[in-house]
This record gives sequence, C-alpha cells and structure tokens, in this order.
Amino acid sequence: MTMPPMSSVRPPPPRAVPDALSAAADVGPRSDRGRRAYQARTQAAPYLFLLPYFLTCVVFFIYPLCYAAVLAFYHTDGAVRKVFVGWDNFRFVVTDPDFHRALRNTILFTACSIGIQLPLSLGLAMLLNQKTDRLKNIFRLIIFAPNLVGQVFVGILFGMLFAPRFGLFNKLLQALIGWGLEERWLADPVLVMPAIVIASLWLYVGFNMIYFLAALQNVDQSLVDAAKIDGAGPWQTFLNVTVPAIAPVATFVLVTSTIGSFQLFELPYTLLQNNNSGFGPDNSGLTIVGYLYRQAFESGDLGTGAAVGWLLTCIILVVSLVQIKLASKVGSER
Amino acid sequence: MEFPYGRAPLGIMLLAIVAAGVVLLSGGTKNDQPFDLIFVTFTKEHAAAYQKALPAFEAANNCRVQIQVVDDRALQSRLQSAMQVGADVPDMVELQDGFMSFFTKGMLDDVQFRDLTDRLKSSGLYDQLVTNRFSKWSSRGRIFALPHDVHPTMLAYRKDIVQQLGIDVNKLTTWDEFARVGREVVTKDHDGDGTIDHYMLDLPIDGDVVMQLLALQRGVPMFDADGNVQLDNDAFVDVMCWYVKQIQGKDRMAFPAGWGQNLSQAMIDGLVLFYFCPDWRTMQFEFDVPSLKGKMGLMPLPAWEPGSRRTSTWGATGLAFPKRGRNFELAWKLAMYLYYDPAQLGPRFLQTNILPPLKSAWTQPQFSEVDDFWQISLGQTFIPLANDVPPAPSNAYHYTAVNKMSKAFTRASRYYAEHGEQGLREVARRELQQSAEEVRAEMRRNIFLQEPAAKQTASAAAATSAEVGR
Repeated sequence: MTMPPMSSVRPPPPRAVPDALSAAADVGPRSDRGRRAYQARTQAAPYLFLLPYFLTCVVFFIYPLCYAAVLAFYHTDGAVRKVFVGWDNFRFVVTDPDFHRALRNTILFTACSIGIQLPLSLGLAMLLNQKTDRLKNIFRLIIFAPNLVGQVFVGILFGMLFAPRFGLFNKLLQALIGWGLEERWLADPVLVMPAIVIASLWLYVGFNMIYFLAALQNVDQSLVDAAKIDGAGPWQTFLNVTVPAIAPVATFVLVTSTIGSFQLFELPYTLLQNNNSGFGPDNSGLTIVGYLYRQAFESGDLGTGAAVGWLLTCIILVVSLVQIKLASKVGSER
Repeated sequence: MEFPYGRAPLGIMLLAIVAAGVVLLSGGTKNDQPFDLIFVTFTKEHAAAYQKALPAFEAANNCRVQIQVVDDRALQSRLQSAMQVGADVPDMVELQDGFMSFFTKGMLDDVQFRDLTDRLKSSGLYDQLVTNRFSKWSSRGRIFALPHDVHPTMLAYRKDIVQQLGIDVNKLTTWDEFARVGREVVTKDHDGDGTIDHYMLDLPIDGDVVMQLLALQRGVPMFDADGNVQLDNDAFVDVMCWYVKQIQGKDRMAFPAGWGQNLSQAMIDGLVLFYFCPDWRTMQFEFDVPSLKGKMGLMPLPAWEPGSRRTSTWGATGLAFPKRGRNFELAWKLAMYLYYDPAQLGPRFLQTNILPPLKSAWTQPQFSEVDDFWQISLGQTFIPLANDVPPAPSNAYHYTAVNKMSKAFTRASRYYAEHGEQGLREVARRELQQSAEEVRAEMRRNIFLQEPAAKQTASAAAATSAEVGR
C-alpha cells in the first residue's frame, strides 16, 4: 500500500469526524473520493434537514407577507378583481375613526396587560417559589390550567359569567360589595375593556408565572445568601439580586406579552359574539386585529386588511425595539 | 446498508414519508365525490327536515344528495375563501340573513352565485311567493337566492303572569301604550327585596337587531332598494329615541335578557314578560323551555301609530347556487322540491314552525293545527301577518351599517343616561347622520360599485340569458 504524499493530505474537516473514519479517509485516492463525498454529505445534511422548514416558511410566510405588501396597494372588493389604488388604503385606515378607536383600545389593553398581568405573574411566581409550601405544585397547576383551554373557551365562559342578574361574576360582586348584579359588562362601553382585561388576566397570569418561576429557580442562591449576610432586607435582595438575575426572562416576557396584546383578537371576538356588531357597543372591544378582520373578511376588502396588517407590523416592531432597548439600558445600568 | 446520518434522521425521514403518503391517500379519498349534489346548510333543524324528504327525491331522480351542516360563520368565511381562490364549492348553499352582503361587494358579473331573476320570473314562481322576501337576496335588482321563509315577528309573553298583573294584551296596541304599562310593571316590587321583579320587555342594550326590526316596522330599512343609506332617516331617529328611554334611566321598562339559557331563565323566572318572537323562535323556545308549556302567549307587535303595521321581520335563510356548482338543473329541481312543494311544506311547518313564502302552501291542513306548546294554531297566527312583512333590502355594506348604527345608538344611549331627554333627539340625529356618512364614505371607496347600476344590471341580465340559453 502506497502512502499518499504529505502535500495531498488535507487539513481535518471543520466538523468533528470519528477517529476511525478519519483514519480510513487517509488510505488512498479511492478513499479520498469517499472522504470528499462524505464531507459533501455532511455539509449538505443541515441544509437538507432545514429544507422542509425553509420551503414551508417561503410558501406560508414569506410569500404571503410579500403578497400582502403588494395587496395593500390594491382595492380588492369582490371575489375576482383588484385595482391599483396607490396609498389610498393606508390613507383610509389612518383617517378612519374606527381604526383610531381600535388603536386606543389595543394600547389600553396592552398597558393594563403589562401593568397588571406581569406584576401579578411575578408575585404569584415568588409565592409559589417558597420551599416550605407543600401545596405549591397543586397551586401551580390551578393557576396555569386556564391557559390550557384557550381564548375561545374563555371568551364563551366569561360571556356567561358576566351575564346581568344571572352571571356568577355579577352575583359574586353583589354578595361581596352590594353592587354589580345587573351590570352589563359586555354591553356597557365603559365596562367592556375591564371585562376583557379580567378575562385575559385569568387566562394569562398563570402562563407568564411559569416563565418567572423558572427564572426564579435559576437565581443563584449563594448571591441571595451573601446579600442576607451583608444585611440586605427582603426588598433590597429582591431589587439588587433577584431582579437583575431574572431580567433576561422578564424582558422576554415583556416583549412577548406586548406582541401578544397587540395581536389580541379571539378573546374579545368570542366574548362579545352576541353583540351584532361583533366588538362591543361603540366598538369598545375593537382591537387592531379585530379591525383588520372586519376590513378583510367582513367587508371583503383584502387590500385594506393587508394595509392594516402592515401598519400593525410596524407598530409592533417599533414598540418591541423600544422595549428591548430600554430593558438592555436598565440592565446595563444595574 | 447503514443510513449515513444516523438512526434518528432516518426515523424522521421515514416518518415524513409515511405522513406524506397518508396525507396524499386521504386527500385522494376526499376528492372522490360519490354524491351528485352537495347541499350545505348552517342549521341542524333544516338539515334534519331535509334529510327526511331526501330519499323520495333521490329515488325519483336516481341520484345521491349529501347534506352538510356547517357553523354559520365558518360557512360564510369558507365559502368566501373558496370562491376567491377557485376551490371546490357546494352545489347549493343556504345563507343566513345578511350574509349575501359578503358576496355582492364587486360588480354584478363577479357575484359568484347564479343570477336567478329571469328564471324566477319566466317560471311564474316570483309571483307565487311573498315578493318582499326577494329583497333580502337581491343586489342591484338581481336575485341571487331563493327565499326559504317569511319570518313575521310577534311578541311572545308569559300569559300567566301577564294575566296575574291584570294586563290586557288586546289594549297594548301602540308602543307608547306598551311602554306606559311597562313602566307600571317595573315599579312594583311584590316581594319587597329592593330589586325589580318583572321587566316588561327583553331589549338588547346596544340596539342590535331589534333596532333594525323596529325601524323596519316603520317601513324604513337601513338601505333602500337602490342601495341608499337610510340611517339618518327621521324614522331611525324616532325609534332610537324611543328605544334608549326603555333601557336607561328611571323610566326604563326593558331588560337585556340576552340569548339562549339567559333568556330562558329570565322567562322562567318571569324577570322578563315579553320578547320579540319571529316564527323560528317559537320552536326554539319549545325546545329550550318545555316547562312553560301552556303558559306562553303571542300577540302582534304594538304599532307605532294607531292602525299602522303590527309586524316586522327578523332573520332569513336563502338558498343560493354557486356558479361553479356541478349540476344546476338537478340542484334547481331539488330546491323546488324542498322549498316550494306544498306536500313537503305542510309537514315541515310542524317540524320547524317556520312559515314558507309559497302562499299556496298555507292552505295545507298542518298550517291550521293547534301547537301543543303554544296551544294555538301557529300557522293561523302568523299567516295573517305574512303579507304585511316589510321588505328589507340586502346591501353589500349591511354589516358596516349595523356596526355604525350600533355606535350611534350607544352614544345616544349614553347621552340619555347622563343628561336625560333634553337634547336627546338632536344627539341621536347627529350621531346617526355621522354614522350614515361613514357608511357612505366606505361605499364611495368601492370602485366596483361606482359603475352605473343600470349598466351592471343589463350586463348581468345578458350573462344570465346566455347561461339559460345554454
């Protein structure tokens, strides 16, 4: 057996190759071809495995996204025809009072969602992170369970709970504070948004709690102990040890909750389904996605729907970037 | 031979191949359509009634018909999507009231349902039906679906409690009188617990469909037959002002009992004494609240002015034929059999309590039978009102108008709650005018509706004639 000249021996491939195979690759021209084929296969493998996802992504995400961008400049009433209208769809949307209402409602919901839901989730996570509580696993399950049923179920359920005179929520309020038996949560424009927030709290507090719980369990206990030895109280320990430790998870929860809140649709749609206009009296439960749905699928104007979709994408992008920037700034200051 | 990337990727690949095979095979099975006609409806009650009648039709025509039940919203959105992308559509489809609007946004030629106008008129069927019902299924003068029903609307009430309270329903001939008596009912607290025992009427808090129903009773639909918005018509202002006073403030006499179980419970408890009851709702109530058998009554709607119309209409079903349906002649034959065969309509009335629009069918004996639950002949109760049911023209912007009207209603209602009657009329008028303008603005954006209606109608008629000729 002739050994190949040293100059023909290539440097080892960048990926780890089992020793036995590596040795076998160094034994002659035929083996060299085999090695190159093996290398090609090895290098192609990740792309082959990614191909189905990539194709799916192109067909169901990239293409619709690009098509929606084109469609946003067309008037598409009717099943068959479309006519180029330039920026008219965007102009209509930004001047439409219903869109303004939807934007206000969505921002209000997002603010409530972030301002109430996240602190509540964190508080519950801290309570359930106590080592002494034997029932914590049961409580975790109970608090997380609403998330298993989904928004449609919650919408229908709370539609019954909020019924005037007969709804359990109204009866409970009446029993506790002597008010609320005949309150029309889903028919009074002032009460519709609180009703949606209450239903969403029930649904999502447990979900975000799980993230916070996981983050709290990863807080370095030695740092907490060191802080205690240094004389830090519970509040100081929380602010200076726990918060920095959970900051990445908190940022993630903040951003995903914000995006989720801006995309709110199913909950108000099902909660207010008995309302003939779909999203509550005076559009008090209308969200941006609800507005998009109404334009695209109730009015049949896919062009305007696409324009709303792109506006929503821009809004979410800006808000998320601002949040991430702020979070990283706060994190670096700490 | 060993798979070069290891066992796990091999397993994933095999799984993918098997899954793809299963999908392909099941897709192939789905596409096999052994049925000659596919008929889609959104109500189980209709489907059950049609299923009973189908075997005779199938035997007589040597064909197979499949009836599918699809939730109403899913039916609308799936059909709309299928028509937009050219996917499979059923041969016949029942549409709910208002849903025609989704399909008539474009030019008349682009409506994906067959234009039935000429066929209906040349066959003489048009004149045999309650002609006002065609307005629900028309666009720009062309008819795109067959009316299934008339749906005259009355008030259903708790006969026993109303009698106990000494109310004579025969004297409740106008809405003002009804409201006056209602206010007396609401002020009485028989059990002394501080909460109201009985409300006179079930009224949705946001106006909703009842606002439309009451305006229709005055003869003013949201759109006229030419497609003009009428929300700012005086009749709407009058109805809105009357309505908000019944649901807000100290003089209110109505309660929003809601739907389904909530309404049933409100009626069982006597919390609400009267509710709006088109023919279809009589059967719903029989199913939902059998315990009230013999305790319920029906009366015509009180009139807006003494001697004026005592009914209105709520809801509708229409049978449309997608243009890409497979066997139109057979589908038409089935439609005539199910919808307008008097021998079918008598027994079906007993199953559904729904009055068909074919006037000659009303003489069938079933329309005189006494209903066990209501203890009256529902046929003889609803038939005298049928010809007085007002037309309610369909429009592509129906749901936009509903939404805008609801907005105006809520604002007027809030004004009344905060400021009382002073200035209410001006506020109601202003809000309705604004709503009407917003609807008009959206309509003006639709360049496909800008083409003169006459031209579109002529074009559609020519297309239909060519189709009939083929």
